[in-house]
Amino acid sequence: MGESFVHLHVHSRFSFGDGAADLGNLIRRAGELGMGALGLTDHQGLYGALRFYRAAKAVGVRPILGAEIVVESAGVSGEECDLPPDERLVLPASVGFGRAAGSGFHLTLLVKDLGGYRNLCRLLSRTHVRSATGQSVVTLGDLARYSEGLIALSGCPGGEVGSAVRTGRLARARAALTRLTGCFGAGDFYVELMHHLTPDAPRYVAALAALAESCGLPVVATNNVHYVHAADFRIHDVLAASSAGMRLPGPYGRQNAELWLKPPAEMCRLFAAYPQACEATLEIAERCDLDLGLGSFHFPAAEIPHGETPYSVLSKAAWRGLEEHYQPVTSPAVARLQHELAVIEELGFPEYFLVVKEIVDFASREGIRYSGRGSAGDSIVSYVLGITGADPIAHDLLFERFLNPARRQMPDIDVDFDSARRDEVIDFIYRRFGSAHVAMVATVNTMTARSAVRTAARAFGYGIDEVNALSRHLPWVSAHRLREVLASYPECRDHPLREPRHAPVVEIAEQLDGCPMHLGTHLGGFIITREPIDTWTPLQWAAKGVVVSQYDKDDVEALGLVKMDILGLRMHSAITETVALARERLGADAVPEPFELPHDDPRVYDTIASADTVGVFQLESSGQRNLNTRLRASRFEDVIAAISLFRPGPLEAEMITPFIRRRHGLEEVSVPHPAMADVLSDSYGVIVYQEQVLLVARAVAGFDLAEADSLRRAMTKGRSRAEMAHIRGHFLERAAERDVDADVASEVFRQLEGFAAYGFNKAHAACFAVVSYASAWLRTYFPAEFAAAILNNEPMGFYTPRLVANDARRHGIALLSPHVNESQERYTVTPDGAAVRVGLRDVHEMTRRLLGAVERERAVRPFRDLADFLRRTCAEAHAAESLIRIGALDGLGLSEAGRPATRDELLALLPELKATIARESVVGDDVLLLAPGPVRPVEDPSHMSGWSRARRLSAELELCGLSLTCHPLELANTDLRSRGVTFARDLPALPDRTKVRVCGVRERAQTPRTRSGKRTCFLTLEDATGLLDVVVFENALQRAGETIVKHRCYLVEGTLQNNPERGLAIVAESVAPYTVRTASGTPVRLRRGVPSGPMGPSLGGAGAAEEESWEQAEGPAA
Amino acid sequence: MGRNAAIKQYRSLPDGLPLDLFDSAEGLRPVVRDLLATPWLVRASELRRPGDGALGRRIGDPVPVSWDASSRSPAAFAWRGCLYDVVSIVQTWTVEHAWWDAESRVSQHCWRIVAASGGTYDLAFDRLTGAWVLLGMQD
Repeated sequence: MGESFVHLHVHSRFSFGDGAADLGNLIRRAGELGMGALGLTDHQGLYGALRFYRAAKAVGVRPILGAEIVVESAGVSGEECDLPPDERLVLPASVGFGRAAGSGFHLTLLVKDLGGYRNLCRLLSRTHVRSATGQSVVTLGDLARYSEGLIALSGCPGGEVGSAVRTGRLARARAALTRLTGCFGAGDFYVELMHHLTPDAPRYVAALAALAESCGLPVVATNNVHYVHAADFRIHDVLAASSAGMRLPGPYGRQNAELWLKPPAEMCRLFAAYPQACEATLEIAERCDLDLGLGSFHFPAAEIPHGETPYSVLSKAAWRGLEEHYQPVTSPAVARLQHELAVIEELGFPEYFLVVKEIVDFASREGIRYSGRGSAGDSIVSYVLGITGADPIAHDLLFERFLNPARRQMPDIDVDFDSARRDEVIDFIYRRFGSAHVAMVATVNTMTARSAVRTAARAFGYGIDEVNALSRHLPWVSAHRLREVLASYPECRDHPLREPRHAPVVEIAEQLDGCPMHLGTHLGGFIITREPIDTWTPLQWAAKGVVVSQYDKDDVEALGLVKMDILGLRMHSAITETVALARERLGADAVPEPFELPHDDPRVYDTIASADTVGVFQLESSGQRNLNTRLRASRFEDVIAAISLFRPGPLEAEMITPFIRRRHGLEEVSVPHPAMADVLSDSYGVIVYQEQVLLVARAVAGFDLAEADSLRRAMTKGRSRAEMAHIRGHFLERAAERDVDADVASEVFRQLEGFAAYGFNKAHAACFAVVSYASAWLRTYFPAEFAAAILNNEPMGFYTPRLVANDARRHGIALLSPHVNESQERYTVTPDGAAVRVGLRDVHEMTRRLLGAVERERAVRPFRDLADFLRRTCAEAHAAESLIRIGALDGLGLSEAGRPATRDELLALLPELKATIARESVVGDDVLLLAPGPVRPVEDPSHMSGWSRARRLSAELELCGLSLTCHPLELANTDLRSRGVTFARDLPALPDRTKVRVCGVRERAQTPRTRSGKRTCFLTLEDATGLLDVVVFENALQRAGETIVKHRCYLVEGTLQNNPERGLAIVAESVAPYTVRTASGTPVRLRRGVPSGPMGPSLGGAGAAEEESWEQAEGPAA
Repeated sequence: MGRNAAIKQYRSLPDGLPLDLFDSAEGLRPVVRDLLATPWLVRASELRRPGDGALGRRIGDPVPVSWDASSRSPAAFAWRGCLYDVVSIVQTWTVEHAWWDAESRVSQHCWRIVAASGGTYDLAFDRLTGAWVLLGMQD
């Protein structure tokens, strides 16, 4: 094993701030240095352990898992701070991530075997979960309890023994050593020697060695590795400084840079006086032989009645479900179910299905809307158990795509639940399986260009404004592309990072690429285990207050644990709410359950084909709307195709154009082999779905479906030329056996090869299409309720609430301002269905208390005037001001002019009224006449607010994020007409290739990856009459990139593209900023100015304030 | 044997011999080396200015050094017209300081050596310039 030394104390980037070593580079370098084994001992956890374990095993390096933990003082009783000052040791800086961080003495633990691994997981979990808010420090009691199967090293100079020796307190060191040794089995404790080439290193090493000798303990040499190569020390310093919130040199103040993965020879030279210390590394490596048993599965316990087996329970439930879903039961369905059940039993997965069934049954019982998705839709078992909603026989979905009998892989069933009620499902899971058996899956957030620049700049000591300036306007790209992006992207032409003085920031940021930044919580991934979960994975508290595994989903899958995605889908909430609002207005019988409708309503397909789909699930984005107009969907299969085609894979493979051309008869449907015509009839001979790859391989080369799926997987993954040649040879051979002409077989293979990697899973699309159809149906028949429900469940979908509201207005639905006597908490629909009333909770400064007070008092009697409102609700001044400005008190009270007070009058009265209420606790008893001081003259006498349209609009945008009065560009109609601007509603009538000038407010700007590698920007703009889709190709983008990034509203000149083949869009030639101004020349606000208030953006519909101030963005005149 | 082994192992001279502490230069050298390696003696690399430190003097002169590849340490250096053969390496250490600041950055590999003349010198290889520097000497 190795030459003569193995590194046992190694920190990777998963030490979060105290490690710069990339796992891949570590393992590679260890291999180059001839080390047969390598340890990984990140602070306070096993965050990178599973990745390390798999990667090291793959290249033949023995992985030694471990952790450097923080442990309480062993050499004295009580806390360090209880000692007299001159006897205290200085504790090292706090280490560890998030709530697993702790400040105390370090101790290195290494795992000997599976028992040791489980004990380490329990030790870490117990410590971290117990210390929900305070320091996470391992107690000596826990250390002794969970030490079996572990080897301990006394730690770095931040360990108690090292720290005591360093400061000359040998008695303390001896006491600590004695007590720590007692926690471990005989021969399982080593004194750790580190020689970091500092002036006092020889003395430190010698003292420790002498102490070990006198205590009869073995010594072991380590180097406390924090980076792979000597030159990487700068990255370590930057990470350490940045994570400690300090500038360089950071919290450690190290004298040199020797914490790298030194070659064995160099380590032996450093420890020439202690050869036994180097030999001990080999001995420990030999003793640490962990086998995690990857490849086997560990299912949670399903509820199995006495005398039954998981298979028998599953089978009975499936056959019952078959009778309910297929009336009459057909023989293909029976045969399919028999086949699937047999495979599921053979693979040993019945319990998995039963667990999922238990969860969806709960949701079903409780009336929580849900839908299964993903490749689980390929299974008739999923369908008849009620997990998924698309009939796999009707839609030609293939079970082998979901579960391949030839490959025993953990099935993955994802279920989306109504997000408003997802917590009920989660509660059920915790209750049903026990909180000791359930935890959430982590996500590892890594650095991109922006975060890397911020990290580097902070470490270099830049002020926050400069850090913001350097990271702003950087595209979302990998950090290693930073220099390339700065040099070539037009929007970065004047970026401050291009200045030579920032070169070190760029250089360091590039090297931070992909560095784990922090551990997040997966949106809905839960691990459910049969044994206590802390025997499988270390746990800790996540920032959001749930217990989370230290492993991400790939790690969990590798361990063979069951991960269930309990995802919240806001569209389910919106659908449920739309139905509820519509039934409330029209009666329960007037609104059927949208998921139970037959998929045959022509009006719904008209809605989709006319691209009138704002808010419709999966069909609303600008690209998707463009596709809808080209596809002209008329049946459910078309919706499935639309969802599948507008995906990165099919887009990249340019499948859409032949599909559309063939569908509309512009191009002949041709396939190389007649057998393909049948299996590709739904997609006009184009391979769109992954399932079709399987069908083609079966039809042409006679593969069975399991073989065909293996072929698809082989083609999908990045294969070498030689491997692909082998796969091809196999395919051609099998085709030849069926007398398929060699040229034809080659052509079929070429097409399979070309599309296998890009095809989309049809089952997934079919499951989504069920939800899409339901939402399109609701939008078609109950547009006001649908809009209100979408706004109530924001943030969701592709568009901002502002656009959803504008779209509703364009469809003739009035938008009513919030009003204290009329509005509910949420958006509501008026009894005639003609208007949506904005809810009060979206008003800036609105609080839960005030909302409750308004609802309570209003139930007694309506508010009469401002004084009445203030007295009865005790509204805070800021909230009252917001409510006045948004119009929520319009029409209340009577001024001396004999009319309701204007908003200016109310605002003028507000401070006086508040002061009087505060002083006397009562004011304005039956006082109807208000006499405010002098206020601005009435701007618009026709409106009770007295405010002009522009002023009302500005207040609405500022305080609610919505434009209720009108679209901002309506204020500029005259100017726009004088500039020859064409409006969105007029574009469809213009011929293809017309030169047009349009003006719109930016809603979205996307720059997706293209096959050619060129950058194209897709802009979704909105004018007062509708949406404008603008394509900015590379050349135009070079000129307009900066304008697009820095401005919000544009005048676009370009060529109209309006043909059935490519749909409706404007190809931009120039993009110029445009400023909407009032009659007096003041710029009009175009975006939200403030956050949605104390109730938070997740509750409010309009979300957070947008990043830049509008003055900055709209400053330069057009 | 632990630290300061040579000092601990030093055997005092039998009675009747002259009062020299050491019987030969070879006998003296390991003891001196251990004494010099003790942390209470200041390193020239830690001195800011000439004259700092009670026992050390900072020099900072560039010097030519001949390198012994087998022991990976300096074999001799010339200073002020004299050649100093290295007879013993007392200690080696490295310094890496302020890499983010070009003006105050220090990156050195240092050796404390005993020269054949009996003096103790701190030599440094400057990793930024690739030059050798006589950092200082111990009085």
